[in-house]
Amino acid sequence: MTALADLGLVEAAEKVTRREVTSTALLDACLARLDQVNKTINATIWVDRDRARADAAAADAALAAGKSLGRLHGIPLAHKDMYYQAGRPCTCGSAIRRDFVPAITCTVVERLLAAGAYSFAGLNMAEFAQNPTGHNRAFGDCHNPWNAPYVTGGSSSGSGAAVSSGVTYASLGSDTGGSIRLPASACGVTGIKPTQTRVSRYGVMPLSFSADNVGPLARSARDCARILSIIAGADSRDPTSAREPVPDYEAALTGDLRGVRVGVPTNAFTNIAEPPVLAALEAALKALEGRGATIVRLELPLMKAISSYVAVISRAEAAAIHAQWMRERPQDYAIHLSARLYGGYAIPAAYYVEALACRGPILKAFAADVFGKVDLLATPTIPTCLPTLAETDIDHGPPGTEQKFMALSINTRPFNYLGLPAVSAPCGFDPNGLPIGLQIAGRPFAEARVLNAVDAYQRDTDWHRRRPPVVPA
Amino acid sequence: MEFLATTEALIATWHGITTPNDAARRLAADLASAIAAFEQVRGTLRFEDEPSSFEAALAECKE
Repeated sequence: MTALADLGLVEAAEKVTRREVTSTALLDACLARLDQVNKTINATIWVDRDRARADAAAADAALAAGKSLGRLHGIPLAHKDMYYQAGRPCTCGSAIRRDFVPAITCTVVERLLAAGAYSFAGLNMAEFAQNPTGHNRAFGDCHNPWNAPYVTGGSSSGSGAAVSSGVTYASLGSDTGGSIRLPASACGVTGIKPTQTRVSRYGVMPLSFSADNVGPLARSARDCARILSIIAGADSRDPTSAREPVPDYEAALTGDLRGVRVGVPTNAFTNIAEPPVLAALEAALKALEGRGATIVRLELPLMKAISSYVAVISRAEAAAIHAQWMRERPQDYAIHLSARLYGGYAIPAAYYVEALACRGPILKAFAADVFGKVDLLATPTIPTCLPTLAETDIDHGPPGTEQKFMALSINTRPFNYLGLPAVSAPCGFDPNGLPIGLQIAGRPFAEARVLNAVDAYQRDTDWHRRRPPVVPA
Repeated sequence: MEFLATTEALIATWHGITTPNDAARRLAADLASAIAAFEQVRGTLRFEDEPSSFEAALAECKE
């Protein structure tokens, strides 16, 4: 029998609704699991047990009185510690914001609360969401629950580790260059970066105005679909949010991929891929074919331009956001972060504007070429076997460590520049027992199609159901 | 070396920010590769969108 902490989000929510289990029991299971694993994985920055118990009791009382708040009634959740919740800590994984307590609550958490969920912890993350590994000087590095010396992926490191190890049923992450998909891949869970502008960013710590995205990490495409259906949609407090209608993503999960063309790039995304990753990708493609998809090998256009421009935008925007602190208290940043920010001040404005101005035209040219031939793209999320925390530790490692560090996100960043929706889902394990991720991307606002492909894959495979060993405290 | 020194001086002049550590120096020196990447792209793209809008492109390219 599946332990309560290991249920999927949708399964747990339906058990609560059917009154087969209480919210209090779910919370107890999550907190017990946290106590078992957290010394090993270091996934949390703060935990609010008292308020969570009160929220769980209130959810149980409401249901007993015949009142259900919504599709997440009574579900305890924990999020990356960069989502403002009025009166609660929000460290952004940094020493600089260690004592920051916002006065507002972000739209996405408000929407989850309105659907009946509640938050019980702030999760570890890369400092200011700016590394792809899970290193954190202020609160300690986050460790991979499958094999602790290895990276969790970042920047939503605690989200990946906590969802994987049964500490929370799902978690909000953020993705500017891969920060949802990388920890989803490295920790063996499912995560979606939605289309740029699909989800409100009001009350969410900014990293890059043009490339930041909010999205969930969870244990399956179906779980992600439920969260995304709740958080997506226009928000008057975030004028950059899209007015596109939000479909019921969960209802779109049919398991049927007949007529769906899945493109596999031949000139990018696998250039530095290692054999175990390539083997896992090919096996995943076969599974998609088994559901009716057609695999199409194709060359992608404009990849040189995309890779040149994507590097400039987030770096320049992050540098601008952090300028005052970089002047006044650079010593309070980790070495790898102040090092990354520093170069951003030398990027010429003309380069930055060129990269932004070309973004729309490049997307149109890319979409006209690629999505005329295929409906989806499939790639490895991370092309190599996972490195250890020590191998990617810029702060203490030798010169050259930066290259290993940056290589992690080489396959995720292009979809941030293009603004396309992309999911990472587990598709195997490398020789060190670490998960391998399959990335599937689609047209703008094609989240339903992307999630349906991953859900179809997950109907025939069990990678997403595997859980890391629970090491007793 | 000249590129790095120029870059450090530019950042100090324009932003009042000094080099925080050796890793920052290495990454700043590596901006030369960003320039090379821009040079490779230069002249290869011809777009007629004026003004260009990324948000409009997202809507235009949807399913």
